[in-house]
Amino acid sequence: MTWVTWRQHRGEALGGLALIGALALVLLWLSGPMRFAFSTDGLAGCVAASARGGGCLTRIQSFMSQFGFTFNQLLLTLILIPGLIGVIVGAPLLGREFEQGTWRMAWSQTVPRTRWLVTKLALVTGGLVVLGAAMTAVFTWYRSPMDQLTGHLTWAAFDFEGVVLTAYLLCAFAFAVLAGLLIRRSVSAMVAAFIPWLVIRGMVDFGLRPHFLRPLTSRLPRSASINFGPNMVPPMTGHLGDNVLGVTTTAVNQLVSYQPADWFWRLQFTEAGLYLVLTAAAIGTAVWLLHRRAA
Amino acid sequence: MTPALQADRLGKRYSQAWALREATFEVPAGAVVGLVGPNGAGKSTLLQMTIGLLEPTEGRVAVFGATSRANRADTLGRVSYVAQDHPLYRDFSVGDMFRFGRHMNPRWDQALAQQRMKVLGIPLNRKIKRLSGGQQAQVALAMALAKRAPLLVLDEPVASLDPVARVEFMREVMAAVADTGLTVVIASHVVSELERICDHVIVLTEGRMQLAGQVDELVGCHWLLTGPRTGARAGFPGMVVHRADSDRHSTVLIRTHPGRPALPDWQTQPVGFEELVLAYLQRPAATTASDPDRAQRLPGSVTKAVSR
Repeated sequence: MTWVTWRQHRGEALGGLALIGALALVLLWLSGPMRFAFSTDGLAGCVAASARGGGCLTRIQSFMSQFGFTFNQLLLTLILIPGLIGVIVGAPLLGREFEQGTWRMAWSQTVPRTRWLVTKLALVTGGLVVLGAAMTAVFTWYRSPMDQLTGHLTWAAFDFEGVVLTAYLLCAFAFAVLAGLLIRRSVSAMVAAFIPWLVIRGMVDFGLRPHFLRPLTSRLPRSASINFGPNMVPPMTGHLGDNVLGVTTTAVNQLVSYQPADWFWRLQFTEAGLYLVLTAAAIGTAVWLLHRRAA
Repeated sequence: MTPALQADRLGKRYSQAWALREATFEVPAGAVVGLVGPNGAGKSTLLQMTIGLLEPTEGRVAVFGATSRANRADTLGRVSYVAQDHPLYRDFSVGDMFRFGRHMNPRWDQALAQQRMKVLGIPLNRKIKRLSGGQQAQVALAMALAKRAPLLVLDEPVASLDPVARVEFMREVMAAVADTGLTVVIASHVVSELERICDHVIVLTEGRMQLAGQVDELVGCHWLLTGPRTGARAGFPGMVVHRADSDRHSTVLIRTHPGRPALPDWQTQPVGFEELVLAYLQRPAATTASDPDRAQRLPGSVTKAVSR
């Protein structure tokens, strides 16, 4: 079965390798000027010298508006990549067997179709985890100078680092495997899996993530200026890497609700867990349906 | 001796509609069985339940005494199957397909598969999509034979092939039968294809069995009567299978005991295999299911072979 899986998915494996190579090259090329500016402006030393980052505010802000902007321009494309990979690999896994009628040949061999599917899913999932981890590594390396200034909680960083990117990828893959089984057509299954994946991504990014953990509240005097945003350095809380979610003004104070910088991994694991539950549900349904299929 | 294939009131329902009902028959080891019926008669459903792709809704089917269960290695390993249009992975080479077969089947006979390709002149490194339809069918057949199962099931194996490829394919099947003593079930809606090779026949229409048995026996107990047109339905010694009336003459196919029936006013002729099968294919399924006195009229030896 290992060889069978490899033979059927080696094209995708090579495609994934090529994608990683291309991504690494593009980001390597883009990172040159950024890394040069980061070292010549002495930003690293500046941040280290004043933990609150206040000492070199202007330089940090000009750096971020210049290079953060480049990444933000790519963001809309990059954010779709895990979903696209997932559905491109997942939809044909069963969809093409139906499309070409080969399921009748494949599932009438001595290896029962359930074992056939579970083995294939396990091996392909393994490959996707490696691919997701490699992409995460490339993105994390590229963003590391910016992340020293803004932390990893803004979604331009959070969605590409840690473990969530791999979880997004697996979730799209699982949706597409199930869609391939239900729709029996590869391309329709890709579309049918991608749309819910994108909707869920949007809902989690903009709706759920701020509520995974109850945000902390910081009390500032009314006189403090209200400005927050991904590239506001340092954030209103005064601590680099904190992610300000909102500000409420009362009679005497401003209440800043925020996620502290050191929540990164807790938030990562919570969000990845959510996607992995969806992944497991879709995969489990697919295996169950195929096992039970008219049985 | 354990029958190679045995079905007992086998039935399959898809949501509301029954694709097959009340199929009961036995096939001895070494038989070559033609499974005949129009498209949608339930042939593929019957075959898929036999080989372990589908689970029956009711009844059972057994291969060499072991009940077939869907999605189980023991059932799947007992039967080789060439599906309709002999599907293969188009971007695999022939060698890749055989390697696939080796990984998917514990008793795989690689030497046999390769030897067949050598004899047929099909290169192992050729991609499946570069092969002709006939060659693809031969690769599928080689895979089925290399699986080394005692029952070979072919679903419309030649429907998509040109006449020369059809003959070549059937010749290979028969050579394999002669070499190995395989039991073979061939589903087809082309009756003429089956006449030369089958010694048993099962006729299905609209999910019901019309006829099952050994070809020689069945031919021996059917007679074609020709005579002046008469309105009378009764008076024939046996069951009227099919009746065609022209202005002045009637042609009646009857099923009776072996031995030519003596009927004044009627010319009595033996019937050919193809004519016999076609007559049963033309019978509406509803009449067979509710023919009240049919069981009594049939000779005892073949009663069990026909659906009630």
